[in-house]
Amino acid sequence: MQKKATTFDVILYIVFALLSLIIIVPIWKVVSDSFNAVGVYRFQLWPNDPTLGGYQTIFTTAKLFRPFLNSVITTVVGTFLGLALATLGGYVLNQYDMPGRSLLSYFLLITMIFSGGMIPEYLVMKQLHLVDSMWILVVKHGINVYNLVLMKNFFEGIPASLYEAAELDGCTPMQIFYKVVLPLSKAALASIGLMFAVTIWNDYSTVQIYITSPSQVNFQYQLRVMIMDGDTPTTAYKVSQNTLYYASIVCAILPFMVAYPFLQKYFVTGINAGAVKE
Amino acid sequence: MSTNENSKVPQNETTWVAPKKTLAQRMKPYMGFYLMFLPVFIFVLIVYYWPMLGVRYAFYTYKLRDIHFIGLGNFAKLFAEKEFWSAFVNTLILSVGKLLLNTFVAVIISVFLNEMLNLFCKKFVQTIIYLPHFMSWAVVAAIFTLFLSTSSTGFVNETLKSWGWIKQSIDFLHSKALWRPIFYMIDLWKETGWGTVVFFATLSGIDPGLYEAAELDGATRLQKIRYVTMPALSNTIIIVLILNLAKVLNIFEPVFVLYNTRVLEVSDVISTYIYRKTFLTAIPDYGYTTAVGLFKSLVGMVLMLASDYASKRIRGRGIM
Amino acid sequence: MKKKLLSLVACAALLAGCGSSNSGGSADTPASGGTTNENGEYVLETLNITVDGTITATVDAGQAEFVQQWEEAVSEKIGHPIKLNITQLDHSDYSGTVSRTLTTGQPGDAGYPDALIMSASMLRQYQTTGLLWNLANAYDNAEFQSRVTLPSINMNLRTADGAQYGFAPTYGNGCVTYIKKGWLDAVGKTVDDIKTFDDYYALLKAFTTEDPDGDGTNKTYGVIAAGFAKLDEAPYINYMPEFWQGAYPSFYPNKDGVWVDGFAEDATIDALKRLNQAYKDGIIDPDTEEAGTKQAREKFFSNDQTTSEGVFTYWAGTWLRTLTDNMNKNEVKNQNGELEELVQLPPIKEIKDTVGGYINREAPTWVITDDGDGNDAREQAIFDALFETMLDGDKVQTLWTYGAEGVHWSTEAEEFTLNKGDAEKEKTYTYEAGQFHLRPNPNDPNSLWKKNHLDAVLVIAPLTNGFVDNDPLIQEGNAFFTANCVDAYPAASSATLTDYEADLAEAKKALVNKAVVGEITPEEAVQQYKDEFGSVSDTIVEELNSAAQ
Repeated sequence: MQKKATTFDVILYIVFALLSLIIIVPIWKVVSDSFNAVGVYRFQLWPNDPTLGGYQTIFTTAKLFRPFLNSVITTVVGTFLGLALATLGGYVLNQYDMPGRSLLSYFLLITMIFSGGMIPEYLVMKQLHLVDSMWILVVKHGINVYNLVLMKNFFEGIPASLYEAAELDGCTPMQIFYKVVLPLSKAALASIGLMFAVTIWNDYSTVQIYITSPSQVNFQYQLRVMIMDGDTPTTAYKVSQNTLYYASIVCAILPFMVAYPFLQKYFVTGINAGAVKE
Repeated sequence: MSTNENSKVPQNETTWVAPKKTLAQRMKPYMGFYLMFLPVFIFVLIVYYWPMLGVRYAFYTYKLRDIHFIGLGNFAKLFAEKEFWSAFVNTLILSVGKLLLNTFVAVIISVFLNEMLNLFCKKFVQTIIYLPHFMSWAVVAAIFTLFLSTSSTGFVNETLKSWGWIKQSIDFLHSKALWRPIFYMIDLWKETGWGTVVFFATLSGIDPGLYEAAELDGATRLQKIRYVTMPALSNTIIIVLILNLAKVLNIFEPVFVLYNTRVLEVSDVISTYIYRKTFLTAIPDYGYTTAVGLFKSLVGMVLMLASDYASKRIRGRGIM
Repeated sequence: MKKKLLSLVACAALLAGCGSSNSGGSADTPASGGTTNENGEYVLETLNITVDGTITATVDAGQAEFVQQWEEAVSEKIGHPIKLNITQLDHSDYSGTVSRTLTTGQPGDAGYPDALIMSASMLRQYQTTGLLWNLANAYDNAEFQSRVTLPSINMNLRTADGAQYGFAPTYGNGCVTYIKKGWLDAVGKTVDDIKTFDDYYALLKAFTTEDPDGDGTNKTYGVIAAGFAKLDEAPYINYMPEFWQGAYPSFYPNKDGVWVDGFAEDATIDALKRLNQAYKDGIIDPDTEEAGTKQAREKFFSNDQTTSEGVFTYWAGTWLRTLTDNMNKNEVKNQNGELEELVQLPPIKEIKDTVGGYINREAPTWVITDDGDGNDAREQAIFDALFETMLDGDKVQTLWTYGAEGVHWSTEAEEFTLNKGDAEKEKTYTYEAGQFHLRPNPNDPNSLWKKNHLDAVLVIAPLTNGFVDNDPLIQEGNAFFTANCVDAYPAASSATLTDYEADLAEAKKALVNKAVVGEITPEEAVQQYKDEFGSVSDTIVEELNSAAQ
């Protein structure tokens, strides 16, 4: 019995070591090649001609700074807007005794099952003067019914007794919301906020469809254009095309890769708090 | 109802106000909540409902300035279009395949990772497998397109050749036979780790007493997985499947960034079809593509209602 | 109560957030337009133009100065102030973006162009839609008429009933085949050895298998291009003329003047067979299938020559200079350690003097949008402000040709050094006062600026101020092209073709790709095309021929 368990454990360790390698090797290959002045087209996971040239090229190119900034701005603004709407909506939907609650939830549900489609959306955004503007990312992702429902599920995990106590103290809904609910949902806010941030930062297709001015595009779009159209600046730093590609990929994933170890703690606790349900 | 047309107004009023008052009374304590919902309401109205008005163009020809009503003409064209049906079938295959594979592998991973006793190792593996989720599809596609290239800059083909495993480069992303498996694999690589999150959450909620009880009964680890862990997960699995079922038709970006003309037959999905007909056609007919979108929405609606029904049957509660 | 108020404020703030993002967000293009003055004359105050990448004075490269100098010069010419707004779109989806703009807006809207650039194919699609203004009269009466040296280009744009919707300030230009000289030396050949397709093929093979870059491996390729054929843009075959030869994968008038569908002809099968053989032999870089023009040329002049190609067919003239400069910048060297050069391959026997050769494509054009009010005042004003001045032979034409004074070019005495500190490439340029010269590229300070939108050599009415860029390489390139080019077929224009153009291009691209990589045979490719689009093709041919009579 005891011995069997050990074999089992060993297998587990081996399998999960392999799994981790499958995930990490492609990423590591990208990082390694981004530091290599010449293209390495074989299985080699360290740079043999190390250079920072790829990164220098990227950060000295004016064309890349603006998209990066646009990405940061839209991600920050969009995440705050998204959290505000998701918490408000989730909190209200959690009031099961509220008259019209089911009506409101159907109001939201319908949007998950029926949408106008690409063209009608495009025409509306045109009317709102959001075509060819980076704020389209904020408006489009700011309201997310799925995240709102997740938020609602988080709130369900808060013991009803706490609400009742606050209500007895004469608190208004808004007071309960930010005195009781929000402080208890820090982890949830971090988690859902992260989801908003990832979605907005990583959005490429919205930009592809709606934005044409170089001053309004985000970093993902710029990256894709660089790699797929080969629109890389090949000046000054003498690195191969692939080095530049890999360096720009690293730049595109860097913010989350850096922040991730810190965010993950919040994230996991957040998910768990939300999942504790009656 | 209309008995007292013009006389006895006061009496009339009281009979009418009475029921209203109870609703108002019931609503009054919730005024604050309604106000709080207002911004959500307005955003949803603008972002989701306003475009719904635009679906009327599904019954129009809409080419440049030429906009006129044609009834069901677009749908007749749509149903006769071979390319559309191929996209429809592909959507189901790719989307459902990806959903099932992803969920299946995520469950396996979370169940066995849960068995890992060393907490540090467990956390470490979790950290690693969540990573790719944070990369955009644009980035993931860029990585794999570069890696899998058939040119001598493609590192996978060159490596396999140098190891002597293959003689000729394999055209992974342009081969009709290989495109779907490659697509599933890339999707697994990117999303499965993240898919485990929700299962871990459930696992951490399992009452340890259940395991202790099973142990007392002399259950092996595999038996504990079979009789304690899996039943606890089954509800979550069903929820995940149901929640995603309604969205299967929406698949766009993963395909959009990975497909190409040579594998169109096995890769073109409804959304990419709409995209090409709308944005890559010199003078597109917006009416036609709106009709395709409307059809997609309608089928999606049926799927959603089906999953809601299923959800009610299985867990006694709808999906909202 | 106070809290309720607070939630109200919160709502209001959110709404305000939405509001401000709406108004403040969009790229600030003011509505275009003009007013009618007291004399009843139309005064054009703002001019919105939509352009592609052919305006090389981009936002990063002195566009602000260009616009400012344009506004100054044109205001002076037309006698009232005018503002110029340039919307420059990404080339990869230019036609799509234009169609979205034209479909969802109208003259007077913010961002709706008063004038824009259209390729010859786009012009054919739009000229029947009523969206464009017939500028035949304005063109005939233009001041620049007296100086036009190449009248036929614009005359060719006219429809059967004499209407003209596009204005071509230059002729089209085309592609020639470039070969890396160092690679030729390495395999022991010269361009004089390449007379026929077989010679050409042998050369590509040598580049693939004889290690022309000298790195000890055989990872090089013979040739790369942006697609085996560019099936959505005329003249389709210009990037791989040697393989396509007489085949033309679209509608064209044959030697009897009868329109035919070239894709259904046997010549296409032969061309696909040649491409398929070359692909099998590994002499065409497989990246060709997916590459855009940028990717193809980046790979050609990459600093990593071990996976590069020896042959690249690309635009003539200025591009000979640009490709060479880029190779030098990347320190591409031949086996003796000298900087690599390009040589131009005269057309091989099979394509010499045929439309399979170095094709002088139909010129890209400028068009004016029609507001449809039946009054030509606005449109004529746009013509006068934009096109008339563009070919004024002087100040404004110089702006369009070379860019902004003091930024892209200058006539002041100055001295500058490019590639400072690089012994091999360092070069100092000294100019006296009054001497016209191009300045360093604002985007890339180590190379010289080349041109803005108009090519001084290709323009239909030359500059009269004597400003010439004497770059010998560009002149050599242009001379070579002029000596070896043939005019392209006119673009086909038919209602059915407009409807099916995208479908046809997509289907043909898929079939060509499949046939080249050997998934299907060339015969099957053409047969499948006939099966699926035969009747559409017949209708189009019929329409084209009845219009031609």
